[in-house]
Amino acid sequence: MKREKRIIVRLADPEFSQLKTLLFSRYPYDEWATFARFGWRDTKQALVLTLAALDPPSNGDLDESVGHVKITEPYTLGRALASETHSLAVGIIHSHPRECAPRPSPIDDDMDKYYSTYFGDFAKDRPYVSLILSIVRDQLVASGRVFWKGRWLLVNRFVAETYAVETWIGGYAPKPPENANRGRVARFTSAFGAEASERLRQATVAVIGAGGTGSMAIEVLARAGVGRLIIVDPDHLSESNLERVHGSQPDQVNKGTPKVIVARQHVRAINETCKVEAYLGALPQPEVLDAVITADVALGCTDQQHSRLSLSDLSFRYLIPSIDCGVMLEGENGKITGQVLQLVRFLAADPCALCREMVFPHRISEELMSPEEREFRQAEAEAAKNRGEDPNPYWQGIPQLNTVGYLTGIAGAMAAAYAIGWITGRFSPPFSRTQMNLIAEYFDVQDIPANARELCSCRRAHGHADQGQIDALISAPSHWPRAKLLSEM
Amino acid sequence: MSRERILRELQVLLVGGQVAELVSNGREFVIYRDVPTGGARLSLPSATDVIVPVPSGYPASPIDGAGLSVDSPFLPKVKGGPNSQGIVAVEGINWQLASYHPHGNGGGPPWDQVKHGFHTYFDHLISWLENIT
Repeated sequence: MKREKRIIVRLADPEFSQLKTLLFSRYPYDEWATFARFGWRDTKQALVLTLAALDPPSNGDLDESVGHVKITEPYTLGRALASETHSLAVGIIHSHPRECAPRPSPIDDDMDKYYSTYFGDFAKDRPYVSLILSIVRDQLVASGRVFWKGRWLLVNRFVAETYAVETWIGGYAPKPPENANRGRVARFTSAFGAEASERLRQATVAVIGAGGTGSMAIEVLARAGVGRLIIVDPDHLSESNLERVHGSQPDQVNKGTPKVIVARQHVRAINETCKVEAYLGALPQPEVLDAVITADVALGCTDQQHSRLSLSDLSFRYLIPSIDCGVMLEGENGKITGQVLQLVRFLAADPCALCREMVFPHRISEELMSPEEREFRQAEAEAAKNRGEDPNPYWQGIPQLNTVGYLTGIAGAMAAAYAIGWITGRFSPPFSRTQMNLIAEYFDVQDIPANARELCSCRRAHGHADQGQIDALISAPSHWPRAKLLSEM
Repeated sequence: MSRERILRELQVLLVGGQVAELVSNGREFVIYRDVPTGGARLSLPSATDVIVPVPSGYPASPIDGAGLSVDSPFLPKVKGGPNSQGIVAVEGINWQLASYHPHGNGGGPPWDQVKHGFHTYFDHLISWLENIT
């Protein structure tokens, strides 16, 4: 049987906060609405829509004399004409009164039927999106449907950055949580509440990098009861990984086992209900991107700058809340001078990795070169040195950072903790970019604030998804082997 | 490669009258057509085509290098020209890449993908072909 395409709607601040304020401005009894623009990415498995901008009503655009939403023709026409000047999908978002299910009424049905055709004439070959938000028993609930390629599709999941939004598919309340395996998380549930545990069970976390930090994050998330993990890494296990990769065993080194398989086997042993998708590849490869954009949260667990930049790009274009983590062991010849770990929050409105000056173009360039080009440039750098010239234009070298398992373990566990905080809606990272040194007084904890640059893509392509491709910070090198989803043995 | 971004940058050049094309031989390049040179004073052509490789991961990686056809009279005269960085066959022409690194301590500013691109790289190429010896 052909599986229906999943429809995922992603929302993020500042638009999401503005949306809530606007839609509930006539609460508890009366509705309100706004037109909105959405980016999207259409994959084999899912259509992911990202809220890019609101086009709120001006005075007189909606009829304030009635409790339900009544949209005037000039407002509609204005948005339709505007759609000819951009490439984003158009949609309408409206509220239902408090305690009313977000279930489309006959009026809503008429409206959507009319608008899907109407906007189809102006915004051709783009989805038409219709969403309903409501508050039921103090919980923000949402439903939606999308007209795409001649068919109506129901929204299966809302992901609202760091907020917990309950998805009511077709406007119907979700089934009560199952009780299987609840004993495992009994202590977690007693503190966080049963609904938090259920949110974890329904959540997907993408972990980019399955080395020291990634494997620890994966272990914490699997034990906490996260329902699905997308694990991405292009590398195979080597002997030096055994010191820090959780779940790794010496015989896997001999077999050349991919790190993502090591991770999947480890998850299986911990929690067999956790689904794992293991990708041999890296961001921003399209196959990997297709999977990662379905996640609630992404964790960056590599020491590669291009990976960091990719994660940052995903956070503002596809509205994927992310935590990037890294560690550095400073010292040599037995003298340890620093044991530093860094956690960086990437929300859609945060400055990107470029604005934060976390990445350096020449380092990324060298990371992304083909092996042949790398070899050629290293030889040219050597030749330049011999001529007494500056070798740096040819090759500057990628420093091999020292690391140790307890440092990667701490960083990975902390990243996983904040993923759990976001998914459950219980807490958020109290920093934007923090560093701490395990052997400095009081850990010498620092927050490193940064501002976004006015002209940066991260200010321009917020929520633009594939339609913001022109503003992508990075592209996948063509010489990389195609990413592969590794199936179960 | 970010095709959309490169095409936008080439469009910016076109508005100013400079033609440049995105081409591929399995690897991507931009060919700038009829780039003005300072060749007249040396009895050389006043314009020439220039090829520039699209770096892996563009725009995260800086644009680097430039090439001329292997029989170009400018090759021995431009900065880094004699120091071949390889020969590539594109569109039936053999191009020799020169050791020219304006964004790698070669006279230009450090690479900034917010500001720089194939449209701004054109300015470096003009200087490169003007300052021939």
